[in-house]
Amino acid sequence: MWYAGVVLMGLAVGVLVGLMGIGGGVVLVPAMVYLLAMDQHMAQGTSLFLQLPPLGLGALLVYWRKKNVDLWAGVMCALGFLFGGYFGSKIAIQMNSRDLQGAFGIFILVAATLLWFKSRPEPGEKKSGA
Amino acid sequence: MLDRRVKLSLILVVACGVGVAAGLFGVGGGVLLVPLLVLLFGYEQHLAQGTSLVALVPPVGILAFLNYSHAGQVSWKVGLLIMPGVFLGGLVGSRLAQALSPRRMRRVFALFLVVLGIWQITSAWLIK
Repeated sequence: MWYAGVVLMGLAVGVLVGLMGIGGGVVLVPAMVYLLAMDQHMAQGTSLFLQLPPLGLGALLVYWRKKNVDLWAGVMCALGFLFGGYFGSKIAIQMNSRDLQGAFGIFILVAATLLWFKSRPEPGEKKSGA
Repeated sequence: MLDRRVKLSLILVVACGVGVAAGLFGVGGGVLLVPLLVLLFGYEQHLAQGTSLVALVPPVGILAFLNYSHAGQVSWKVGLLIMPGVFLGGLVGSRLAQALSPRRMRRVFALFLVVLGIWQITSAWLIK
């Protein structure tokens, strides 16, 4: 039962990955904390571990066929993630789990705010819609 | 209109900042990158999402992951169990995204994140 639940959780998060073009960690970390009763640090480390293989590759190919990919911008972002991630994780490991959990909450509130603002129609979009 | 090379350099700088947040919170970074590409660089939504997926194909979290792994903060079993679902679900979700206008869906997702965020904050700092 437990195994099936964890696999299903991955499947549900995967749909979000393809739908939103994200890695999935932002949903996986709280899911592991609350559904699997994991410690915040452990959930974050596990989230990074399971994202090592290119799990979004299938989703990427679908975007690629529709020419919805800026390859060079993606490469720049990958470099930034690689080095930025090193320093971010150094900071996280020194924090206590409770503060890290609260900070994670603030982080996803910021992400949610950005998503919300982005979802207003852009100027060009309005014209083409009319 | 920004020169292409200037734009790419600026994207690199922004991605470094997003990367710090990604390592700090154990996430891929796409959740911040996608809105920032749209808000700061004028990307169309689908293009931003496709570009974010490119950035997540190489194992960009590896340096962060090694730091967590040295600290003993990785559950290998749960990680391995979640992997196949994320891949397969990604295929389904990306097809859905091509068919849908993602605005309403993004707002639903944003609200969902607000609930998760408030839950995290209250259980961390307000409930003893």
